[in-house]
Amino acid sequence: MVAVRETVETVHKVAGEKYKYGFSTDIESERAPIGLSEDTIRYISAKKDEPQWMLDWRLEAYRRWLTMDEPTWAKVEYPPIDFQSAYYYSAPKQKAKLDSLDQVDPKLLETYKKLGIPLLEQQMLAGVAVDAVFDSVSVVTTFKEKLREVGVIFCPFSEAVREHPELVQKYLGSVVPTSDNYYATLNSAVFSDGSFVYIPPGVRCPMELSTYFRINEAQTGQFERTLIIADKGAYVSYLEGCTAPQRDENQLHAAVVELIAHDDAEIKYSTVQNWFPGDENGKGGIYNFVTKRGDCRGNRSKISWTQVETGSAVTWKYPSCILRGDDSRGEFYSIAISNHYQQVDSGTKMIHLGKNTSSRIISKGISAGRSSNTYRGLVSVHKKAEGVRNFTQCDSLLIGDQSSAHTVPYIEAKNPTAILEHEATTSKISEDQLFYCMQRGIPAEEAVALIVNGFCRDVLQQLPMEFAVEAQKLVGISLEGSVG
Amino acid sequence: MLEIKNLHAKVGDKEILKGIDLSVGAGEVHAIMGPNGSGKSTLSYLLSGREGYEVTKGSVTYKGQDLLALSVDERAAAGVFLAFQYPIEIPGVTTMTFLKAALNSVRKARGEDELDAPRFLKLVREKAKPLNVADDMLKRALNVGFSGGEKKRAEILQMSLLEPSLAILDETDSGLDIDALKVVADGVNALRSPDRAMIVITHYQRLLDYIVPDIVHVLSKGKIVRTGGKELAGELERTGYAEFAA
Amino acid sequence: MTDAARTFVETYERERDGLPANGLDWLVALRDKAIADFAASGLPHRRLEDWRYTDLARVLEKATLSPAPSRQGDMAWPDASAIKVFDAADRYIVIFVNGVLQSKLSDLPVGVSVSSLGDALSADWAKVLVETRVSEAQATNVTAINLALMRDGLVLDLAKGVKLDKPLHLVHLAVDDGASHRRNLVRLDDGAEATVYESYVGAGATNYFADVVTNVSLGTEARLMHIKVQDEAADAIHLATLTAMLGARSYFSSFTMTLGSALSRNQTFVRFDGEGAEAHVNGATALRGRQHGDQFCIVDHAVPGCASATLFRTVLDDASTGVFQGKVVVRPHAQKTDGRQMSNALLLSRDAAMNAKPELEIYADDVQCAHGSTIGELNREALFYLRSRGIDEQSARQLLISAFLDEAFETVPDEAAREGLRALAADWFRLTLKEDA
Repeated sequence: MVAVRETVETVHKVAGEKYKYGFSTDIESERAPIGLSEDTIRYISAKKDEPQWMLDWRLEAYRRWLTMDEPTWAKVEYPPIDFQSAYYYSAPKQKAKLDSLDQVDPKLLETYKKLGIPLLEQQMLAGVAVDAVFDSVSVVTTFKEKLREVGVIFCPFSEAVREHPELVQKYLGSVVPTSDNYYATLNSAVFSDGSFVYIPPGVRCPMELSTYFRINEAQTGQFERTLIIADKGAYVSYLEGCTAPQRDENQLHAAVVELIAHDDAEIKYSTVQNWFPGDENGKGGIYNFVTKRGDCRGNRSKISWTQVETGSAVTWKYPSCILRGDDSRGEFYSIAISNHYQQVDSGTKMIHLGKNTSSRIISKGISAGRSSNTYRGLVSVHKKAEGVRNFTQCDSLLIGDQSSAHTVPYIEAKNPTAILEHEATTSKISEDQLFYCMQRGIPAEEAVALIVNGFCRDVLQQLPMEFAVEAQKLVGISLEGSVG
Repeated sequence: MLEIKNLHAKVGDKEILKGIDLSVGAGEVHAIMGPNGSGKSTLSYLLSGREGYEVTKGSVTYKGQDLLALSVDERAAAGVFLAFQYPIEIPGVTTMTFLKAALNSVRKARGEDELDAPRFLKLVREKAKPLNVADDMLKRALNVGFSGGEKKRAEILQMSLLEPSLAILDETDSGLDIDALKVVADGVNALRSPDRAMIVITHYQRLLDYIVPDIVHVLSKGKIVRTGGKELAGELERTGYAEFAA
Repeated sequence: MTDAARTFVETYERERDGLPANGLDWLVALRDKAIADFAASGLPHRRLEDWRYTDLARVLEKATLSPAPSRQGDMAWPDASAIKVFDAADRYIVIFVNGVLQSKLSDLPVGVSVSSLGDALSADWAKVLVETRVSEAQATNVTAINLALMRDGLVLDLAKGVKLDKPLHLVHLAVDDGASHRRNLVRLDDGAEATVYESYVGAGATNYFADVVTNVSLGTEARLMHIKVQDEAADAIHLATLTAMLGARSYFSSFTMTLGSALSRNQTFVRFDGEGAEAHVNGATALRGRQHGDQFCIVDHAVPGCASATLFRTVLDDASTGVFQGKVVVRPHAQKTDGRQMSNALLLSRDAAMNAKPELEIYADDVQCAHGSTIGELNREALFYLRSRGIDEQSARQLLISAFLDEAFETVPDEAAREGLRALAADWFRLTLKEDA
């Protein structure tokens, strides 16, 4: 079957296009001593000039972590992680505190420029504010002043700890408690930096906020922590991008993201995750263990997760919504592409607690090469949650006979007024579709991209414009949205 | 334009075409008629390059080059167009997106510049209008949920956009009522030109009342058994294929 | 170890030398190992993925688990609708009391062998069937209890090409309290055909544990239709495991109607061993009170070109709980697989709950697999529509629920049984409606 082989090769090219972000930046760093101990945590806390309560919180998490076991329920396999052979803090050396971009090491600006993220405000797309996190620290946050004018706080997490302790103390760990799970607990102990966002009541954030995470140092784990609070009636759209250099070793990334939406507030959170996936033989790549959870705390609040997952050797990630407020809504839109030896176990949880809460899950998994791609999701309706609605659609596309696709949904209803619908399909790119496209003159490679693009359409449409282009490129498409 | 010589082909172990000779010149419209299983669709797939058909003997020359040596998309770029009997559905890919991908691929291969969105849109609307293809249909996923008539009109629209040199219409009348058939036939007739050859494959004479061929061939058991003028179609309508099937 | 688990182990120690077919060394060794494995792992608990929705250990703690007495002789024939459901069919009847075979059939056609477990275990094929255990062990170690303690069961062996002329109806009566462990072996050689009905009813016993394992093996082009009605006594615990190994182009269809027991779990494991085979695993469940019913089903497409379809319809009233856990596995190279799976549940009451986990595990690309699950209440608009046409609410509800279950009954290939199942569902409504009134 010539066409089958061609298809497979084509998709390898499309999905496995040489990792463009594999370079590393030669920059002088300071690092915590290797390994993990209470001393490591004290070191990180001291570096960040943290108050005692923050250090205590970390230490408590660390002590709890020591008693926990690594979870094994996900459909991923990897050798045991040696937590003592990694660095937990690495920061580019620079002058104490930056007041303006002029003081940022030009090498760093160059790095971000190469990643397609210009940090100089005059070069930027209007309407996007960026927080750039390099290894363990935030190097710069743009448009801070402009945002402050409307009362929006957008700053590195470590800065928020110092300058907005009352907000941090009130919300940190209120969605993902330190005891939540193995990796979230580890993160609570050693998290380095990340973004903090607070949108005051009634404010619609005037621009997209985004954070670009970059792992640069070898042997270094990244443990960022993001906390976003949308107060009553507020709105924010937040974008997150991730890349890392190409290295032979596996590096650990264990992030925690907490979202809180009060009455009538809305948070839209989009991710393009493109950590280094490892090479075609499965060597190297990021282990990505992420806990993302949103709390629709207020009535009529809404949290929407959109993710395009193309990177990482191992992905373990379930952005979830706790639908606590009445009439609140949760959404999860996902594209997960795996190739070569990548393993993805991702999905969502929709916990319906409030009345008339609704949720929608659209998941598109594409597995090529020898990869494994699992959707794992929970829809749970509690006893007092009247009038709940959920619709779930999980589709898998298999490319080549060496890859695998799995669907593991849990659907639990304890209230009779709920209407829950789940459907899932598995298919491959058909020979007939390819032939049809090629008969119209479209080369095989583009035909595959076109068909994959069509398969993912429902999710791609959810991405903000700023990210759509990058995502489309990653998915291997070229024409979506240009006409019609 | 197209020269088929002693073409033998098999699918799996079964020989379907047993020595086809056919010469189609620019500006000509040839009809190939025949009973079911005579090899009509095999011929159309073989000319467009679908896999699974093995040529065991003979040759196909198109504009002086060996057509069989080209890949499917290369043939399309060279101007070979197949209007499918059963156009395939491609979920999520809008007709518009698809048309643009196809047109620009073909233009690129011909060394022409790619059309930008406004120019493309204008062109499509212009071509779509006489075929009664509304904007709404262009925004829907390709062939998904299209009626029989919509599918065939979409095929002719693609033909009109891609401006092929050799168009092969495979059972274009199947599944169409008389009104839809007229629209499609008008579309095809509008594309008749001195530089373009067409091969119309059909089981029934009905289509040929609207697309009047210059030459009619009868295909039976993998061979062309009779060739004549357009009146041959009428004759077949009266006598049926019985004499050829025997 | 829990008290319940200890009871099983102690029963084994006490009865070991009196169990059937004790002269077979391989069987004794297998039993010893089974009970040792069970003693090591204990009863399944909810931390095990396959048992997350069903707490068997907890309900077994309250059950009478010492062996139910072995009876022979005339039994009063209970007037149970779960037995009468098959009355429309001319059939052979085999009766089990407390899990022990009562009478043997005499008028069987040539090539058909029906016997009790103890007599059949010496056959080589029985050894293979019992030892293979398909993939049952992966979901549960509870079948180890059955393996160790199995006392009787039906063995149906059809030779090549033999078609059983009438359905065979197994009637399982629970007359005394206690545990009964039975194992049925069904082997249909190439081209053989049979229809097997099963009825499980309480006939005097109230507190009992009915444990049954059925091992099925189908040869090339063999066909087996299996229709089971479970209407055990209200406080009973019913645990059924069916394993089926399907030969090339064979056909297997099973339908389970679940009405009885305080807690029931119906486990089905299908494995395709030959290409071109077809399996249907369907069922309907209607529960009320505090009943708990669990349908667990794994279909393993180990070879290419097979088709499987699963449909379970569940209706839950009062504070009952329904569970559907299904998995379609498509192994590497099992191309051209068609695997479908659907669970639909209706919640009729405030306190009812449903848990569904339909899973796909796919390692081949050229496959058509789909699953779906819906959970909801009766369609209010449909109810309103019917009432606006003058149909009273109770009748409208019954009409809609009947229609809902009927789609499951439609999958039953046996006309006589299908009608019986519909009647059974109607009985269930009458009781529900009476309570509601």
